[in-house]
Amino acid sequence: MLIGPNEQFRRASLTGALEIMCEELELSPTQAKDAKTHYEASGGWLADSTHPALQGISIYVQGSAAIGTTVKPIGRAEHDVDLIARLTMSARGYSPAFVKKLVGDRLKEHLTYERLLVEMCRCWRLDYASKFHLDITPSIPNVDCPYGGELVPDKELSAWKASNPRGYKALFDKRATLAPRFRVSKSAFAADESSRASVEPYPEAMGFKGILRRTVQIAKRHRDVHFSRRPNECAPISVIITTLLSRSYERCVTQRVYDDELEVLTDVIAGMPEFIDFDGRVWSIENETTVGENFAEKWNVYPDRAGSFYAWHKKLLEDVVTLRSIEGLDRIARRLDDAFGERPAEIAIAHIEDAISASRASGTLRYGATGLVAATAATPVAASAAVARNTFFGR
Amino acid sequence: MRRGRALTIAQQFFALRNNPICAGEGQLRREHLIWKFDVRPSDMSRSYRARIELSQKGSPMVFIDGPDLHVLAEGRKLPHVYSDHPPRLCLYLPGAFEWMREHRLDLTIVPWIALWLFYFEEWLWSDDWKGGGMHPGDLEAARRVGREPIAC
Repeated sequence: MLIGPNEQFRRASLTGALEIMCEELELSPTQAKDAKTHYEASGGWLADSTHPALQGISIYVQGSAAIGTTVKPIGRAEHDVDLIARLTMSARGYSPAFVKKLVGDRLKEHLTYERLLVEMCRCWRLDYASKFHLDITPSIPNVDCPYGGELVPDKELSAWKASNPRGYKALFDKRATLAPRFRVSKSAFAADESSRASVEPYPEAMGFKGILRRTVQIAKRHRDVHFSRRPNECAPISVIITTLLSRSYERCVTQRVYDDELEVLTDVIAGMPEFIDFDGRVWSIENETTVGENFAEKWNVYPDRAGSFYAWHKKLLEDVVTLRSIEGLDRIARRLDDAFGERPAEIAIAHIEDAISASRASGTLRYGATGLVAATAATPVAASAAVARNTFFGR
Repeated sequence: MRRGRALTIAQQFFALRNNPICAGEGQLRREHLIWKFDVRPSDMSRSYRARIELSQKGSPMVFIDGPDLHVLAEGRKLPHVYSDHPPRLCLYLPGAFEWMREHRLDLTIVPWIALWLFYFEEWLWSDDWKGGGMHPGDLEAARRVGREPIAC
């Protein structure tokens, strides 16, 4: 169904507000550059070790920082930047515990790193307070993986387990470049002289910067808020959310046609559960880029986690659908607050308010059938009136 | 400031009736007009029912007939209103030439209603009026420091 111009404008504004929210939540380009400088330096330090097993070690970024889906954690200032310290074949045959210790010992030889170092289950953390955490997980090549995968320690450091961060990133990036098909393009709509849109002020055109990445960030933030209120439940891990969304996204954009970005977002979220395998006994969300990695393996140990996932997913979908339909800036703000937290809601609403106030101050604000619009010189202005200067008075 | 010719009540009425941005219905009496129309201040906003009244003498009076702004405000005192029941909006500074009788209502008051409602919705959530403005006390203060007096 083709939606009318008012609805089209409304959804474009909402998309713009969500976009601003995601920008605020992610690792900024400056922070990312800063993190890169630090992790490259630590990689150099590891590679300069004289221990034969560390010869030729390379360090690279994996996870959300690698694929552009970072979300600031709730309750602390530091983003997590996940790194792989990839050892060469010369490290094969060593146990995960030994390799982890080897990396830790080398980092401790550096005065700065020793001060910043925190030991985690299967990785080492360099804690750059109020900036980011660099979490360094060692890996060795996986000769059994046909896709060039790696082996990383399991949580207990008792065994190596299959993983493929580089292959995962490549597949995610490939899916993210797929563009959805829209029923009618914004430009085609504006060019249609007979449509109402052609004679009304056109709102700031601002879509998502990459729908898949924004969808992942929105879902992850929603998860963080949802589970921060449920301390007794265990949140689905990011890689599950990312995998389900990227698979759903690929299917949605290759098989369907949409009205706008918000509809894509909703449909992609709605399709997530279809990529979870359950044979009545075993839960499985397989890593398509290696052999033998089941992202949902913990669900088989703790079945409550599957239940927590489905309950959260239902709430996420409801919130996104509701956002699309409610009216009133205050109600939208409250819903954003409930779904994504107070600060993101403030940022989204401030973005909308700032646009109107700045346009009012510069004398370019107009009022027409789609409401107040920050008009530009190129804007068609029929059926609208300039908003004259005024001073609200009274108590 | 050069002043134009004051518009008659009938001229104001026909301007309101002919402008699609305030499509609605109203009554024109000899010395009084009433115009009722829907306002959606932004594409994310509710639709509100507004009413403008203007007499041959006196200032335009603007009311919001629905939805009930007091219900939306959940008991908080409404910002920038002259009266509460029904809410009568304060849209411009009296005596400061922002609105004069030669100004068309549909090109001044109507967009200001949208602006007021936009800031109202934002205020409902943030509890902070972002639309700026002045309060009667500000005028008293301005007079005390010797600025040009402004007639209310």
